[in-house]
Amino acid sequence: MDQRNFTYMFYGFAAAWLILAIYVVSLVSRGRKLQDQLETLKRTLSQEKL
Amino acid sequence: MLHLSWVVFLKDVRMEFRGKEALNASLAFALVVLILFSFAFDPTSEQIREITGGLLWILFAFSGVLLVNRSFVREQSNDCLDILIVSKVPASSLLLGKTLANLVFILMIESVCLPVFSVLYNINLFQLPLWLLGTCMLASWAIAILGTVFAAMTVKLRLRELMLPVMLYPMIIPALAAAMYLTNLVAAGKVPEGDDLIWVRLLVGFDIIFTTLALGLIDTILVD
Amino acid sequence: MIDKLLFGVGLASGLYLVRNLYTMLVVLPDEAAQGMIYRIMFFHIPSWWTCFLCFLIAGSASAYSITKKNFRADSLAVAVTEVGLAFTFVGLATGMIWAKIIWGIWWTWDARLTWAFITALTYAAYLMMRNMIPDPSERMRVSGALNVFSFASVVICYKAIDWWRTQHPAAVMSFRTGGGNIDPAMEGMTYHNFFAFILLCTVMVVVRLRQEETRREIEGLRRLAYAG
Repeated sequence: MDQRNFTYMFYGFAAAWLILAIYVVSLVSRGRKLQDQLETLKRTLSQEKL
Repeated sequence: MLHLSWVVFLKDVRMEFRGKEALNASLAFALVVLILFSFAFDPTSEQIREITGGLLWILFAFSGVLLVNRSFVREQSNDCLDILIVSKVPASSLLLGKTLANLVFILMIESVCLPVFSVLYNINLFQLPLWLLGTCMLASWAIAILGTVFAAMTVKLRLRELMLPVMLYPMIIPALAAAMYLTNLVAAGKVPEGDDLIWVRLLVGFDIIFTTLALGLIDTILVD
Repeated sequence: MIDKLLFGVGLASGLYLVRNLYTMLVVLPDEAAQGMIYRIMFFHIPSWWTCFLCFLIAGSASAYSITKKNFRADSLAVAVTEVGLAFTFVGLATGMIWAKIIWGIWWTWDARLTWAFITALTYAAYLMMRNMIPDPSERMRVSGALNVFSFASVVICYKAIDWWRTQHPAAVMSFRTGGGNIDPAMEGMTYHNFFAFILLCTVMVVVRLRQEETRREIEGLRRLAYAG
């Protein structure tokens, strides 16, 4: 295998994966926050009904 | 439809000339920035010739945003915007009239700034007056049409003064780049020919595409 | 059920990508002039294709939502735009790293790169604007119009290498040139990675779409709470 420019190729792959990983992590954490908000709201509303 | 656009245009121009707030503020801003530029860049050096177009069109873009922001904000008081929307004026006439008014205001700012620039930097910008006029008209139309449409989008936002430039500047980059290139040519006294005409075609194409899009989408933006 | 399907698709895309990585590194021949760095193309090109596809779907969904006043289309538009923007950044980053080696510069203002940058900025502005409009139907109208506007920059970016002489390489894929400009194995690899990215993109869009629906539910419940 031609070994020229191996480091930068590695950086390139790493950059691609890192950006996607950061996005997925942010997506998951936002999802969790939204679920918490929803639970809190539903609880508040059911308490108000009582 | 064109008659109604003309009515809206006259209304806006008359309103602005009565108070002249936006025009004065924009002109003062433009002149102050011009003077600041002369401290940033040595006015006597030859390098100024290469950045003339860049300096001028950044200046016109900034002052243009100030002017264009006002076009819908001035309708906010007394629910004038809502009245205009429910009236028989089609949204596209409203857009066309306001864009024409903004075009006139931007051209007025340019007509003051260009001679001042020529004097401060000792560069004759008026060697090819028709080419200069053409470039100014096409590029100012680009700023006016996109600025007016985005002003309509952002009129009800809290942070409209921030969002309007953030949305507008990326969109007008190609038109500004073409205007900067052509202005540099004109300032050097060279008639655009051959490859340079690509930039003219870019400006014309840009104006046509985005005017069509704007006229098509303004109904959705304004009318509930 | 959908959860299991999502997980399955995600796993499939993961395995597909690993298989592609293996093929990329071990099986494919070397490029004559570029060394190892050309393999970045197998991420750069598919990520931009995915990004453009996402923005095409977003533009269509926005157009549909503003004409038919459909909120689900609006949710789809924002979900797909966000995922598309992530792929835009992947494309920009991989492109810049490739450019540093091949051209010696990280960036240049040629037609395609400028329009790519404009595309990223305009869609970021779209996402920013959505957060500023509290009323859902106004948000749908105004941001929908902005999305359709922004799609114009995607079209111009795609055609930029045909309309202008750019520093960015001209078209090499056979569907644009009619064949002969690229080794078929490399072209095939690009398509494989593209499909893998599409699978990944689908999973992310569905997750984000669900979050958008949850957000609407929260808005609705909040309105109920304040009204009661």
